[in-house]
Amino acid sequence: MVQILVYGAVISAIYAMLAVGFTLIFGVARILNLAHGSFYALGAYLVYSLTADARLPLWLACLLAVPLVGAFGVVVERVLVRPLRRSMLAVLLITLAVALMVEQALLLIFGSEARNVPSMVDATYHFAGVDISAQRLLALGGGVTILAGLWLFMQYTRLGSAILAIAQDAEAAQYMGIPSDRIYSLVMGLSAAIAASAGILVAPFQTVIPSMGLLPLVKAFAIVVVGGLGSIPGSILGALLLGYSETIIAFQVSIEWSQIVSVAAVFTTLVLRPSGFFGKRASF
Amino acid sequence: MKRFLFPSIAVAMLALAADPADRVMAQQTKPIRIGVNTAIQAQVGRDAIDSVKMAIDEINAQGGVLGRKFEMIVADEGEAATDGPKVGIAAVNKLTSEDHVDVLIGGYDSGVTLGELPHIARAKTIFLGIGSASPAIQQKVKEDYERYKYIFRVNPINSARQSQALINFITGKLKGDLGYKKMSIIGENAKWVQDMVPAIKKGAQAAGIEVPVAEFFDVQTADFSPLFAKVKDSGSQYLIVIISHGSSDVFVKQWYDAKVPVPIGGIDVKGMDANFFDRVGGKSIAEVSANFVLRAPLTPVTVPWWDKFVSLNKRPPVYTAAGAYAAVYIYTEAVKRAGSTETDAVVKELEKTDFVGPAGRVQFDATHDVKDGPGFVNLLFVQWQANGERVVVWPKELVTGKMINPPWLAQN
Repeated sequence: MVQILVYGAVISAIYAMLAVGFTLIFGVARILNLAHGSFYALGAYLVYSLTADARLPLWLACLLAVPLVGAFGVVVERVLVRPLRRSMLAVLLITLAVALMVEQALLLIFGSEARNVPSMVDATYHFAGVDISAQRLLALGGGVTILAGLWLFMQYTRLGSAILAIAQDAEAAQYMGIPSDRIYSLVMGLSAAIAASAGILVAPFQTVIPSMGLLPLVKAFAIVVVGGLGSIPGSILGALLLGYSETIIAFQVSIEWSQIVSVAAVFTTLVLRPSGFFGKRASF
Repeated sequence: MKRFLFPSIAVAMLALAADPADRVMAQQTKPIRIGVNTAIQAQVGRDAIDSVKMAIDEINAQGGVLGRKFEMIVADEGEAATDGPKVGIAAVNKLTSEDHVDVLIGGYDSGVTLGELPHIARAKTIFLGIGSASPAIQQKVKEDYERYKYIFRVNPINSARQSQALINFITGKLKGDLGYKKMSIIGENAKWVQDMVPAIKKGAQAAGIEVPVAEFFDVQTADFSPLFAKVKDSGSQYLIVIISHGSSDVFVKQWYDAKVPVPIGGIDVKGMDANFFDRVGGKSIAEVSANFVLRAPLTPVTVPWWDKFVSLNKRPPVYTAAGAYAAVYIYTEAVKRAGSTETDAVVKELEKTDFVGPAGRVQFDATHDVKDGPGFVNLLFVQWQANGERVVVWPKELVTGKMINPPWLAQN
């Protein structure tokens, strides 16, 4: 039971980090970003490259990787997405192209073998029958901190208010003098940075391979469908539901069956409540 | 129009009739084409390609075979976990129908190879398998010899025989030498493993070993914690794992990070890679990983072959490299004995193969499968130890060191 609680919390925190960024950019800019998993992969690979190739200390590599991926997100929005934003289909295709391009670039540069990102903390904790590495607890703590920071930013800063205003009514916000294009870029950068943080935090105990962005994208997609596309609270609730459901199935039934949870969740949601739990426009 | 038609036909006929000896000569001097169908992005694929090239260069430097040189054409089988068999089938069809290769050397994923077989048989092209382990592949030869006689497996030992070798390790080493009586078995849900897990469980139970957990996991599994927790709670003294397409790197890292109080070992295909220990930051320490070849005097050619591969490619080889190298020589010798590259004649000669390669002596059984056991190719149980050293801990006659426990457990 304690095992399910602890491991479920870790996996939910990671899923929440992935889903929040994905839903944020959709909620604000109506961009269904299929390159979201690429930001996650880039975060992990940048840390690998900065530590293994550039020989930087791990903490510095992590601190550099997050803004670098954020900047990449801004470039993607500014150069590739913005000219096509009028067409949802064109945006989908261009972000898919970015995802494929990133994966192929990683494959060419690093090859197909898994790369090792060292643990930020090496300890292992044993309590109440649970063996858990400190790195997983760090991922949990990091995830909660990032999400709390995002909430504070959205609620208590002028920029956060501007983002909320755009999300509620982009046209009205523009009339009020809020520069929507700049906000879209900023949100894309923010979304990329959060995904990169997730990639960095899980890289030491997950697979760092060029295709590592695909599964997180699928999970993020499933979570936002369950939680409601465009809703941050919905994404957090969806992440908790999916994270704990998978963990319970893995512990109580079989690890083999845990992967089907996200598919079942999407299917059930689309049949019973197509808009998800909080699927209203601008429901921050 | 008619004015031109008859002269044209006459000219064409004359051209066809002109000097058939020249055409025969051209046929006899054109290179023998080896098609390599493999997963080119994976190390198993890259090593297979480099090893075929190494063998071809050696043979061509000696004048080739029957006065003909070899040339290699590579086609990508893709990544089995994501692409399924369709990319492999397209690769085989390209090699046989567009490139008209004389022989195929390759294969890595059993599911992909099984998908390719009907296409290879239809093209009546010899296929020397060097990576896929499912017994179902060679079973086709038994079921329909005339159709599938072109299919041979040079490497690795099929998974049923690997299961038996693993049972011998479990009963001989783990129970016999170390006294373990309770073990769990987990394997990825892939074609070659589906028959192995029940067979190993049955074999272990027959030897009086309790098997509380015997489970499959998806090849995409990214979190093994629930499995480790289950195995630990079951009171198992050892965890047998069978993994190839799944992420071995993640598996050992999560095992090490959680300091799971159960040692691990079995068949971990990526754990066979010489750089695996470094790749996982040394976290594979004490993992036993079955292997087919390593730098040890398994045969007189093993060490020279290994060293040459390393000097040419700046990395140590994996098992497909040993099979690929042997396959080129086995085909060459069969062509030499047959006196031509005519497929049926070469098949007959391949059946008589007796070749000593880097991984052992290769002979084929009635299903064209490589024979195993003493004197042939063996499955070696190799343990990762301090500083990435590899020690053979089983079979008994080939042991090179003492088996250790992971650092967080008391040593035996």
